[in-house]
Amino acid sequence: MRSKIRGLALVLVASAAVSAFFLKRTSSANSGKDQPSIDTPEVFSPAHPTILESVKDFFGWRKTPVQPIAFTHKIHIEHQVACTTCHKGVNSGPVAGLPSDKLCMRCHAFFAKDRPEIIKLTAIFNAGLDVSWQRVYGFSPSAHVKFNHAPHIRAGVDCSNCHGDVKNMTVAVRAVNLNMGYCLSCHRAKGVSTDCVTCHF
Amino acid sequence: MERRDFLKVTVLTGATAALSGCEKPAQQLVRFVPEQDLVPGVAVWKPSLCTLCSAGCGLTVRVMEGEAEVVRKGQLGLIKMGLAKKLEGNPDHPINQGKLCARGQAGLQLTYHPDRVRGPLKRSGPRGSGNFQQITWEEALGEVVSKLQELRSQKQAGALRFLIGRLRGQRRELIEEFLKTVGSSPAMVFDPLDEPVLRQANLLSFGRATMPSFDLAHANYVISFGADFLGTWNSPVAQSIAYGEMRQGHPGSRGKLVQVEQRMSQTGANADEWVPVRPGMDGVLALGLAHVILKEKLRPTRENGETLIAGWQQGLPDYSPEAVEKTAGVAAKRIERLAREMAAHTPAVAMIGGAPLAQTNGLFSALAVNALNALLGSVGTPGGMFFTPRPPHAEHEWGGFAAASDFAGQFLAGKLDDTHVLLLYNANPVFATPAAWKVRDSLERIPFIVSFGSFVDETSAFADLILPDHSPLESWLDDIPESGTTQAVVSLAAPAMLPLHDTRAMPDVLLQIAHQLGGDAVKSLPWQSFDEMLQASISSLRTAETSPPVDPEKFWAKVQEQGGWWSEKMRSDAKQTIASVAFGGSASKQPAFKQPAFRQHGKPESALPQFDGAEHEFPFHFHPYVSQAFLDGALAHLPWMQEMPDALSTVMWGTWIEINPKTAAKLGIEQGDLVEVRSQHGKLQAPALVSPGIAPDVIAMPFGQGHENFSRYASGRGANPMTILAPLQVAETGSLAWAATRVDISKVGRGKLALFAGGLRERPSELEHR
Repeated sequence: MRSKIRGLALVLVASAAVSAFFLKRTSSANSGKDQPSIDTPEVFSPAHPTILESVKDFFGWRKTPVQPIAFTHKIHIEHQVACTTCHKGVNSGPVAGLPSDKLCMRCHAFFAKDRPEIIKLTAIFNAGLDVSWQRVYGFSPSAHVKFNHAPHIRAGVDCSNCHGDVKNMTVAVRAVNLNMGYCLSCHRAKGVSTDCVTCHF
Repeated sequence: MERRDFLKVTVLTGATAALSGCEKPAQQLVRFVPEQDLVPGVAVWKPSLCTLCSAGCGLTVRVMEGEAEVVRKGQLGLIKMGLAKKLEGNPDHPINQGKLCARGQAGLQLTYHPDRVRGPLKRSGPRGSGNFQQITWEEALGEVVSKLQELRSQKQAGALRFLIGRLRGQRRELIEEFLKTVGSSPAMVFDPLDEPVLRQANLLSFGRATMPSFDLAHANYVISFGADFLGTWNSPVAQSIAYGEMRQGHPGSRGKLVQVEQRMSQTGANADEWVPVRPGMDGVLALGLAHVILKEKLRPTRENGETLIAGWQQGLPDYSPEAVEKTAGVAAKRIERLAREMAAHTPAVAMIGGAPLAQTNGLFSALAVNALNALLGSVGTPGGMFFTPRPPHAEHEWGGFAAASDFAGQFLAGKLDDTHVLLLYNANPVFATPAAWKVRDSLERIPFIVSFGSFVDETSAFADLILPDHSPLESWLDDIPESGTTQAVVSLAAPAMLPLHDTRAMPDVLLQIAHQLGGDAVKSLPWQSFDEMLQASISSLRTAETSPPVDPEKFWAKVQEQGGWWSEKMRSDAKQTIASVAFGGSASKQPAFKQPAFRQHGKPESALPQFDGAEHEFPFHFHPYVSQAFLDGALAHLPWMQEMPDALSTVMWGTWIEINPKTAAKLGIEQGDLVEVRSQHGKLQAPALVSPGIAPDVIAMPFGQGHENFSRYASGRGANPMTILAPLQVAETGSLAWAATRVDISKVGRGKLALFAGGLRERPSELEHR
């Protein structure tokens, strides 16, 4: 029974993806030619750009993000830097912020200046730009999930519950597959709301 | 958001923006520090101003931390900063009271437009080609300063002219002060949306060259001669709010709206009665109404023992309903009924705007409507017309009327020939004047042109240098709205976000040039940056309504927090305000309705309009009108506005001409056919929209499209009605009579018409039942 539903869902996803594929083609045909663009779609759409993408999303396969600077969490945590020093707003707002390189340079103007990654960082800073960090976690737009960090932190959920053993990671990797089952198991165990609109809206 | 946090944000952005004028570009990029001010994912709202039309509405801007795609030192990348995400009306602002029109919403795209000028440019191709190369601010400013020094050493300071668009408040003061210190004449103003004819009429009738305000909320009867006051005219958001109050705010009574025009506007579509009058006959119709009121003694004709309007003692014998029916084309019975209705349902108010003022007899029509208002007893009374009071620190008004005719005079008389340096700000006369004015040729002859524009348009394509201004959301702004409220208002706003590109605020650049020139300029413009000047100008209002005066720093913070200063006293006693500011500007001097002015201008011989083109050769009146989306065309580069379906026709991404179904049938023209419109001065082509809301002998077309060179979205799209207009002027004002051209039309093929709806009528069968 379960595999039947899964099969049906796969057909539905595939057909949606086919239409999305054609939509994508028409929108890219008249995209701006003279303006350089960073990898963002021309028109916002929650649809998957290709069939392959939708299949990957369905099974939770993701590319490992390649960060512009090989930031190592391990060394920073060993030097007693707290998570919230860089990921501001995680205990007060919906999003765990990513630091601007100004924050990095508060220390790295003085420390470890000769390391190759810090030289890269300094070059970006001197150009007046920020590091374009790549997303490691996050939900597919088609899932319509609005996650809010602050209540989880207030409830005493440790960062490592959802993000794995970051203190032993160099570049952050997706250690936990944050699918709906994962969220629900914890919500049920703690006896908190499992209503649809708690997360999907 | 806590007040304390707000101040922190403002102080931080204010301080950094203040530095931007004088520092090297690299140092301008003082980063918004998200760790201290913005919680990622949480929005804050900051006040700002809308600069897109003359209304001067207040905004609140939703600002959130985000990543912007920018170019720094030739390198494309991201920066993390507080970004404006959404615009809404400022709920505390007296003009728009939290509401905002569609154009205002699209103001956000001025900041993120892909074709914004991102840094100073120097012309590299021939003039008008739009080819520019990047230079640095130091090179650009050096060039401007050396040109000005050259003029000064040759004692030719008068050879510097400044051409600006609509501009009020301290930016205007700064420009005028700058021109004065370098010994040049005052700025020339070019604003096609301004109504210089109405200003002149108000000056003659009431002693004030100001746009009128209307207390629509308390009116029972409104007759509007061509003024699209719910769509584009004067202060549309304020007027729409008041109109809603008039219709639904008083249980048991619903004010009546009568719209007099040739082509149904959005206001016409809302009216209870639509009166199609012959073009240019609005004043005659107004006097016909007055004739009935006088004849049937429906209103008192004497006030305090004096005749209300001199010359009307005989009861306007030339304007009997039968005579008016012949000239204006409105049935005598209808004129009598309308006159009796409005006299019985006071407060009744009449307004005039748009096409009637752009006829050669526009001044006559405006004076006739002013006189009708006086007869109805609705000048300076609740439910009538009045003038919005000026704030106490800025009694002086920059005259719109004199300046507008000055512009025409300068160009037409070739007086710009001795101009060596022309500075340009927010004006696009190449696009918005008839070809016969030869603005292009005049610009060609000026040796050195500097534009402060954020976009390359038809006029700044002639510039030798472009020194791009910040977008409004990145700038210190102030404004003194002219109309739409009983309160004196000064709007003021700090930048809502830091600049995205290598731009500098125009006022800061002017201050810097003044300081580099040295001498008197430094003495009269001592400020390092524009916000210092703003603070200095507004601080006198500390004492205006509170005693003892507020602490200066606290006052400055409060003004920034609420988005300006407005009189609380005048809000609490609107009735008193309306009465006291009706005439002449203060309660003590009320010159009343100036009778001689009407006697001189209101003669029957000046009543009839003249048109360009013989009737047998050019059988149709050409009726261009202000576009809901683009106004005069200055907003055609905003893709949201291109995408927005016109409220009545639902056309998007193009122009069209409106034609009556009977006329269309006679000429064999169907909806969507490409039609050629010819006048004595040129021709254009546009698809036909067959519309029942237009008189059979009138062809209508919106302004705004037909740009040659104005961003990727507007260039080469549609046609510009300006190109075929006759250079006729409104008598005694010098203003362009843009509704006085006659045309002929013919079908040339099949055109493209993008309609959002299927057509004006959802079901064709509806027509068959009529």
